Amino acid sequence: MGAFFALGLFQGAVYGLLAVGIVLVYKAKRVFNFAQGEFGGVAAFCAFGLTVALGLPYWVGVVGGLAAAVAMGLVVERVVVRPLESSSRTIMLVALVGVALFAVAVTVLAAEPVPRVMPPIVEGGTVDILGAGILPQQLILLAVLAVLAAAMAWFFKTDLGLAVLASSQDLRAAQVVGISPTAVSRLVWGLAALLGGIAGLLYAPVGIFTPGFMTFTMLVPAFAAAVLGGMTSLPGAFIGGLAIGVVQNLGIYLLGQQLAVPGAAELGVFALLMLVLLIRPQGLFGKAV
Amino acid sequence: MTTATLVLTRVRIRGRLGLVLRVVLVLAALALVAYPLFYGGDVWAQRISRAAIYAVIGLSINTLTGHAGQISLGHQAFVGIGAFSAAFMASQLAAPLGFGLAAAALAGTVTALLVGMVALRVTGLYLTLVTLAFGLTAETTIFNWREFTGGGAGAFAPRPALVETDFAYAVLCLGVLALVLYVDWRLVSTKTGRALAAVRNNEDIAATLGVNVTGYKLGAFCFSGLVAGLAGGLFAYWNQVVQALDFEFQVALVWVLMTVVGGLRSRLGVIIASSFFALLPLTLPNFLSGLPWQPPFLNEAVYHVLPPFIVVVMLLLVLRFFPGGIGQLLAPVTRRGGPKGAKR
Repeated sequence: MGAFFALGLFQGAVYGLLAVGIVLVYKAKRVFNFAQGEFGGVAAFCAFGLTVALGLPYWVGVVGGLAAAVAMGLVVERVVVRPLESSSRTIMLVALVGVALFAVAVTVLAAEPVPRVMPPIVEGGTVDILGAGILPQQLILLAVLAVLAAAMAWFFKTDLGLAVLASSQDLRAAQVVGISPTAVSRLVWGLAALLGGIAGLLYAPVGIFTPGFMTFTMLVPAFAAAVLGGMTSLPGAFIGGLAIGVVQNLGIYLLGQQLAVPGAAELGVFALLMLVLLIRPQGLFGKAV
Repeated sequence: MTTATLVLTRVRIRGRLGLVLRVVLVLAALALVAYPLFYGGDVWAQRISRAAIYAVIGLSINTLTGHAGQISLGHQAFVGIGAFSAAFMASQLAAPLGFGLAAAALAGTVTALLVGMVALRVTGLYLTLVTLAFGLTAETTIFNWREFTGGGAGAFAPRPALVETDFAYAVLCLGVLALVLYVDWRLVSTKTGRALAAVRNNEDIAATLGVNVTGYKLGAFCFSGLVAGLAGGLFAYWNQVVQALDFEFQVALVWVLMTVVGGLRSRLGVIIASSFFALLPLTLPNFLSGLPWQPPFLNEAVYHVLPPFIVVVMLLLVLRFFPGGIGQLLAPVTRRGGPKGAKR
């Protein structure tokens, strides 16, 4: 059981990292960003192409992958988000689902849908934590999550972050005091894509990865993490991510291994999401709605 | 493209000419279905059934997204639960087809009620997240529950003698589609439709007008679940075997996008888009492998990913250039006395 706890904690780090990006976009735009996972997927595939297929050094792959993610974020902002600025959030959400599906389809068309193995940043054996074998890559992932969640929390205290919050609350008033809505929009989507790219690059080497791996398996727990954390709270995203990872793995242990219920991980996440909305819809750190 | 659309939608067709045009359009649409149904043999009868089932699913999503402004990304779960319920009734209890379809509709409604009661209490689009998580849970847990779904082998749903032929079954599917269309029309043109429009446009204002916001959202979601379950029941008897594989996550995304491409709140547009995406996976591989020149990258995996790719490209074009979807393009002919401006 301790091993499942530790596994869950480290699995939760990637949910937390995606949730940080989701919270950023939600704070700025009040929309659920369904494309967040695919920023990571695109980054992972570009990095894989550069390092493994072309044999370039690892850091080139990292830089190239992150650049591809940010480029995708900016293109999505220009082509999809900005033209739909005046439409309802329902339509915006449908469009973002479309973006995620588009990215998955392009990845399948461009690269064969076969499982791939991305080399980790640090080679080496597993570390024993509570009886679970944890890869060095997963330790790095958790550390990066802590740093980035803190950095984003700090970002919203700076003038730039306050400008983002101001345009989210009242676009016209923000414009009057000299905040460019276009610049804010670009900043938010570029930053969100960068966060998504980091998540994808760090998580891809943990196991094997296939086209759409970030969207089809990671995105739902990440949304659950953001909701649990309160949708607008960055410490909430951090803690929510780890909590979802733990709940998922305890679900696998208690329901899957002890009671042989199929799909215990998904069931655990769904049950937790329902519980949060039932008991405390504002999440752990959110303001009451 | 934008200008062409604008010109088209500004054309006003009034009076007798408009009536004649509408009659001609309806007759042409019926002929388009009737010709392959009568002369296309079993293959086309099966395809028309599939198109009708997809159209029912599209209308189900249209109720939720078009009328109530909420999104479900887990509709494959409702359709799947309907399908497995119908198959359970047919194979385990040997119940008649009517009971199977009723059980499918009931299962869809109850599931939607349970999920919606929790998710729709909160303002915003939380239903999207909950249905997404629910869809994955249904896929991995409920559909793998051996006693209910028969595990990997699937559950069987043999057709009764009356609708055993593909032709008779297609007529049944079209009949159900007509019924759903009628209910949808009555729903929109009564108090319920106006209340839903108020909720969709602004929940706070709707509440001040005395509209029970949560109640109407929940009602719309339950009706959507009912219709989705019914479509699942039709699917079960259509395919005669139901497997968990038929209801993967990606299918639900394609359904939502196809409904938006068809045009939210446009019944005809939704039916056209749904039929198109129902037939695309069946006809596309034949069409591509029949081409004189074979692009080297074509293979099974590409066939699988092409329909979602096409629906997304169409979605982005639609949202950018004519947000009312196919329904907006049809507006000059379908709306007498000129179009009501396309609303996003």
